[in-house]
Amino acid sequence: MFSSISFKNGVKHAIGVPALGLGSSMFAFGAFLNSAGFDIFQSFLSTFFTFALPGQFVMAETILAGGTLLNVFLAVLLTNSRLYPMTVNITPIIRNIEIPKWKQYLAAHFIAVTSWFNMFAVHREINQEDKFNYFVGLGGFLWANSVLCTVAGYLFSNIVSHEILIGMVFINPMYFLIMTVSNLKEKKMICSILTGAALSILLNNLFPGWSVLIAGVTAGTIGYFLFKKEGLNE
Amino acid sequence: MSSQFIYLSILVASIGTYFCRAFGVFSARNISTDSPIFNWIKCVSIGVISAVIARIILFPAGILGEATSMSRITCTLIALVIYFSFKKNVILAVSVSAISFVLINHFI
Repeated sequence: MFSSISFKNGVKHAIGVPALGLGSSMFAFGAFLNSAGFDIFQSFLSTFFTFALPGQFVMAETILAGGTLLNVFLAVLLTNSRLYPMTVNITPIIRNIEIPKWKQYLAAHFIAVTSWFNMFAVHREINQEDKFNYFVGLGGFLWANSVLCTVAGYLFSNIVSHEILIGMVFINPMYFLIMTVSNLKEKKMICSILTGAALSILLNNLFPGWSVLIAGVTAGTIGYFLFKKEGLNE
Repeated sequence: MSSQFIYLSILVASIGTYFCRAFGVFSARNISTDSPIFNWIKCVSIGVISAVIARIILFPAGILGEATSMSRITCTLIALVIYFSFKKNVILAVSVSAISFVLINHFI
């Protein structure tokens, strides 16, 4: 059943720092697409259908580098593969047996690092039957805001200096970083975070395309098994 | 690059991205929040995200790569110091870090 109250609460949650952090980077991405020779409709479609910034940057750069469609597909698939474990993780949390499967698959489009972190931060305070609509409000607003900010960035790129644009791109990873360190509570999470970052740096030159995935899976597995006995139930 | 190629690239990028999400929903159909695999996946997710952040800061793609490594690392440390020094204030940490980043890249 659709609960407009939980949906609105999700939207309210997204308004503010989450929307600002992601929106600023999307604005800069729109400006980047303008300078790269995309048209405004292509910029709009990129965020509308993809909504995963690192993969969008990789797509644009692969095109600019003269890559083929297969190059684009594989590069984006690899870059956005982080969304797979995140989706496996968030889906049981927002699951509601009354929600049709097709809606669950549709809502999956709103799963991104920002919506994942913010849903995890509050899910224990929300009734199980309200979580799905709350997430749709939260993720849906972030998605719509990202589409608008991409178009705005495309249109207004000329009035923002290049240095400010680079600064706007920097806001999002800093926001991710702060949200990540806010999870430094359990030993298994601390271990996974630190090991993931360290392995990513060490493996970058060895496996440029795979380093993030290998680092994340290895770090998470080490963190989980080393501290398996620590309070398992989240 | 032709306009048609860009549209096709957006299409294949969207398919590649949505595949990761849709396969995630499919894989999660029998996973409950109190199962060991759920906790393992949570560790993997946070490990992947920290790996992504480390890569963005040290080996960025896109226009962030035009900034110096020194500025990115310095402002990352600024964000962490502000966050832990000022009662874990997210807005303050992110704002001061981003403003410092712009200033450092403007003046150095």
